[in-house]
Amino acid sequence: MTSTAEMYPEKRLIASYHTRTGYTRRKITNVGMLIITGILTFLALVPLVWIIGYVIYKGGQYISLDFFTQMPKPLGMEGGGVLHAIEGTVILTLLGGIISIPPAILAAIYAAYHPNTILGIAVRFGTDVLSGVPSIVVGLFGYALVVKTQGHYSALAGGIALAIIMFPTIVRTTEEMIKLTPHTLREGSLALGAPEWKTTLSVTLVAASNGIVTGILLGLARASGETAPLLFTALGNENYEIGKIISSGVANRTGIMAILTRIFEQPVDSLPLTLWKYAQQPYPERINQSWAAALILMILILTLNIATRLWMQRRMSRLQGR
Amino acid sequence: MDMFLDMFMWHHQNKKTQNNFPSLIDYSVVETASNEVKKSNNLPFLVTRAQEDVSVSLPSENFYKASIRDFSLYYGKFKALSNISMDILSNKITAIIGPSGCGKSTLLRSLNRMNDLVPNTHTEGEVLLDGTNIYTPGVDIVGVRRRVGMVFQRPNPFPKTIYDNIAYGPRLYGLRRRSLLDEIVEQSLQQAALWEEVKDKLNQSGMALSGGQQQRLCIARALAVQPEVILMDEPASALDPVATLKIEELMQTLKTDYTIVIVTHNMQQAARVSDYTAFMMIDSPQTRTGILVEYEATSQVFTNPKNKQTEDYVTGRFG
Repeated sequence: MTSTAEMYPEKRLIASYHTRTGYTRRKITNVGMLIITGILTFLALVPLVWIIGYVIYKGGQYISLDFFTQMPKPLGMEGGGVLHAIEGTVILTLLGGIISIPPAILAAIYAAYHPNTILGIAVRFGTDVLSGVPSIVVGLFGYALVVKTQGHYSALAGGIALAIIMFPTIVRTTEEMIKLTPHTLREGSLALGAPEWKTTLSVTLVAASNGIVTGILLGLARASGETAPLLFTALGNENYEIGKIISSGVANRTGIMAILTRIFEQPVDSLPLTLWKYAQQPYPERINQSWAAALILMILILTLNIATRLWMQRRMSRLQGR
Repeated sequence: MDMFLDMFMWHHQNKKTQNNFPSLIDYSVVETASNEVKKSNNLPFLVTRAQEDVSVSLPSENFYKASIRDFSLYYGKFKALSNISMDILSNKITAIIGPSGCGKSTLLRSLNRMNDLVPNTHTEGEVLLDGTNIYTPGVDIVGVRRRVGMVFQRPNPFPKTIYDNIAYGPRLYGLRRRSLLDEIVEQSLQQAALWEEVKDKLNQSGMALSGGQQQRLCIARALAVQPEVILMDEPASALDPVATLKIEELMQTLKTDYTIVIVTHNMQQAARVSDYTAFMMIDSPQTRTGILVEYEATSQVFTNPKNKQTEDYVTGRFG
C-alpha cells in the first residue's frame, strides 16, 4: 500500500503532515482550543447566572401573593404590594406595542423590498441611529411631544416613549427576517397572479412570522425594562388601580371610551420605575420590595417570552410540518 | 396534408465579429474538441453568432400557443437576450437547453413576465400569447400569469396546509365556495398524480412532504388556476431520479391539456420528454447576451443538428 506521501509528493512540503508527531500536535492544539473556548463560555455565563441568581435570592425572600395583588401601603407600614406597577408595566408595554408594531412592520417591509431607495436607506439609517439614542433623550422627547402639549404626565406619554424605544428593534429584525424568506416563495405566489401586497401578507409575512415575533418580543422585553424614558412621561402613580377605574366606570355607566381615557390619561407607575424609586428610599422595607419588584419584572418578561415561543412553535409545526 | 407548409424563419443579425477577445474561459479545451473552429480569423471561442438562417418546419395542424418575435431583454444596460424568435406549439413540450448563464431561464420567465420583478428591466419585440402581445403597455399582468403558470427549480410550497397551497390560486380569483374549492383541490392533486399520497393529510403542512411530492404539489398549485401554458424552470434538478421520473411522466400526461415549456440542464431529460428543443448560447464572453442558436424538433436537435455548436453541446463536448 502506498503511503499518502508517495501518492501526493507535494504534501512532503508540509513536514508534519503525515508524521505521528504532527498528528499528536494537532490533537493537542484541538484539546487546547476546546478548553479555552469552554472556559470563555463559562466566564460569559457567570454574570448572567450571578445576576439572575442574586435577584432570585434577594427578591425571593420578600415575594408573596400579596405582593402581586396588593396596592402599596403608606411608608413605614409593613406589607403591601406592587399591583399598581405590574398593571402599569402591562399597560405601558401594551400601549407601546400597539403604537409601534404596525408602523414598524410596514417600514420593515418597505426597507426590505426597496433597500436602495432614498426612503429605504433612510429607514435603515434612522433606525440604527434611533437604537443608539440614549433612552433618557427619548423620555425628554416624549415630555416635549405629549406632556408639554397635554399639560400633564400620562400613561399615553409613557407608551409613546416606549414605542420609540422598541421601534428600531422591531424594524430591523422584521426587515432581516423578510429578507431571509426565500425569494422563490414570493415568486411562487406572484407567478400565480397574486398582487405584491397579497403575496407579502399571506406568504412572506407568514413565512417570516417566527422571526418577526422574536423581534417583537425583544422590543417588548427591552421596553418593559426601561426606566429612563418613563421619568419624564409616565412619572409614577402609587394610586393607579385599573380594577378601580373600570369598576367605577361601569358603576357610573361612563362607557368604554371614557374608561380607556381614564386609564391612559393618568400618570402611571411601572416595575422598573418603582424599583428605582424604592431602592433610593431609606426604609429597609422599601429596599426589600424593590428586590422583589426586580424579580417580578424578570418573571414577567420570561413568561411572556416562553409563552409566545411555545405558541409560535405549535403554530410553525402546523404550518411548516417541522 | 402539408406537414411542412408552416415555416417560420428568423434572421440573426450578422454583427461584425470582434477579434482578440480576452478570454474569460479556457477555450483551448473547446478548440481542440472542435477542430472546425476557424483559427484563421482568430476566433478563440466556439461561440459565434449563427450566420445562416435557421428555419424550422412545424406541422400545420398545430397552432402556436405563444410566439416570441424579435424579443430582446435588458437588465439595465446588460442585454440578456437578443432577438429571440420562436413559436411554441400548443399541447407540445418545448425544451430550452443551453449552457449556464445563456438566458434560458430569462427567456422562460419572459413568457409570464416574471422578469418584471427585476428592477430596470426593459424589453424589445413581442411575446404573443394566442396572438396578443403580453408586453403591450397596460396589459393585465395578473391575467397573463394566470394563463401562464410556473413551476420553479426548487419546490416552493407555501408555509400553509396542502389544501391551502392548492386553494391559494383559486381564492385569489375570488373563489370562496368550499365545495367548489374541495373539487378543485382534488382535481388538481389528481392531475399532478399526488392525490393518492396526500388525500388523508390535506390539513398537514405542504412543507412536510418529500422533495418530489413538494414539486408535484407546486405543479398542482399551478394547475389549480387552470392555466393554458405551464413553464417549468428545471423542475427536477433538485430531485432524486425516482421523483424526476414521476415528474417526467406527469409532464407527458399534462401535455394533452396544457402547453409545456421546460428549461433543463439535463440533455437526456430534454431528449426524453420534449417534442421540440431550443438551443441557446451566449453570443460572446464579453457581452454574455443570450441568443437562440437552433430550434427544431427534438429528434432533429439530438440526432442531426444543423448547427455545429448545437452538435458540440448535445454531444457533450462543452457546456
